[in-house]
Amino acid sequence: MSADRGDPGGRVPLAGVENSYSAERPVARRDGIRRARRMSNWSAAALIVGTGAAAVALAHQAVPATAPAAGPAVSGSQAAAPAAGAAAPGTPGPQVRHSVATTSASGVTTTTTRTVNGTTVVTRTAPARGDD
Amino acid sequence: MTTVTGVSGPAAAASWQPVLSGEDAVAAAERAALGTSARVVVWPPGNLEAACAAADEVLGALDRQASRFRPDSELSAVHRAGGGLFLLSDGLAGAVGVALAAARWTGGLADPTVGGAVIGLGYDRDFAALGLNPGGPPAEPVPAPGWYRVRLDGPLLRLPAGIRLDLGATAKGVGADRTVRAVMAAAGPEGGVLVSLGGDIAVGGTAPRGGWPVTVAERPGRGDAPGSQLIRLAGGAVATSSVTCRRWRRGGRELHHIVDPRTGLPADGPWRTVSVAARTCADANAAATAAIVAGTQAEGWLAAAGVPARLVGHDGQVRRLGGWPAADGQPLPVTWGSHVYAGGLR
Repeated sequence: MSADRGDPGGRVPLAGVENSYSAERPVARRDGIRRARRMSNWSAAALIVGTGAAAVALAHQAVPATAPAAGPAVSGSQAAAPAAGAAAPGTPGPQVRHSVATTSASGVTTTTTRTVNGTTVVTRTAPARGDD
Repeated sequence: MTTVTGVSGPAAAASWQPVLSGEDAVAAAERAALGTSARVVVWPPGNLEAACAAADEVLGALDRQASRFRPDSELSAVHRAGGGLFLLSDGLAGAVGVALAAARWTGGLADPTVGGAVIGLGYDRDFAALGLNPGGPPAEPVPAPGWYRVRLDGPLLRLPAGIRLDLGATAKGVGADRTVRAVMAAAGPEGGVLVSLGGDIAVGGTAPRGGWPVTVAERPGRGDAPGSQLIRLAGGAVATSSVTCRRWRRGGRELHHIVDPRTGLPADGPWRTVSVAARTCADANAAATAAIVAGTQAEGWLAAAGVPARLVGHDGQVRRLGGWPAADGQPLPVTWGSHVYAGGLR
């Protein structure tokens, strides 16, 4: 271990390399340490920047600008190909002026089915008592 | 009022009726579902057929899982067992999980263990059938046993004996959320969809410019009534709870379906209708019901929850909170994140 502290300790210099353990060695060593620190700082900075960029990219993927619906995954049969007449990618929404739905107390509707002379009759009942 | 709306083949019970919205850029259809009406609106119009098929699958499954009125539903089978440990389907486990999360979020104002109290008041069958069998006076009010007594670990439900679940405060919202997701999966990533389930509305995909135009009203089909408002919904959801509908009489008393879990009686606060906008329809549904139950505390609770809300008092006065727009045609601000779906948003 003493060899690490400036004493050649019986080591044989390589041919063509003179005075490898000269008095300048501590200076060179400090320069090396500084260089290593600089490299380390740059690496740490690059790592932080990279991690931040990755987090931002993932966040954008996880929460798209338009609202995804909540609920469990749908079955494979529902994951069908786009229907005919699908909009081109990136198409902005259409202009819609009139109300298309109403948020309100839930109305009551029930559907019953019966067969009359072999024909299915669908009866829709609304509103029920107390719901008018 | 009873009307025959269609005569067709065996599958007609689930038939969709086209809705004329006056807009060529979108297509809409409506059908009865879950004891109320479901409406699907899509753009481009060519997506409607796929959207309706996807909605059928989701709403049919939810009815078989979570209806307390169908004797063959999974929830009815759980109730018949009289308590114990149950392995639920993913669909019912998800719906119960949302209901319990909503109860936790609302401090028990929207509590799924209110089922026994609701039945005691006479709401023990599909609402459309209530008027045919008025029955006798209501039973003594029974406070809800408490959502915290119900344990759900993944698909495993531990339900103490005597507790009956009513998922009414969140089920329509869950149904609308699931339907939007299913429609987007079926119709492809482009275009947009609006799903209304009994007036609780969720949207997905790309909204029309400025957002989907939606009327806020107290009663279904009364969008042109005084006091209604037009808003625009570009994302998320909006839901309304009201004591003005689903009312019935028992023993000379007029009752309604929003029951205060603390008393087992119909909520009797100062607000008759509350609309809430949120990231998901289940969140909006739960918050609107909680606000009705909260009564005089509703404004404080909604403000703390940070959700835009519109409250209508019994005197007709309107109060807006959390950035709910005052003028017609303005977009609804929707907050991020969900309080009722695991992971914030599912």
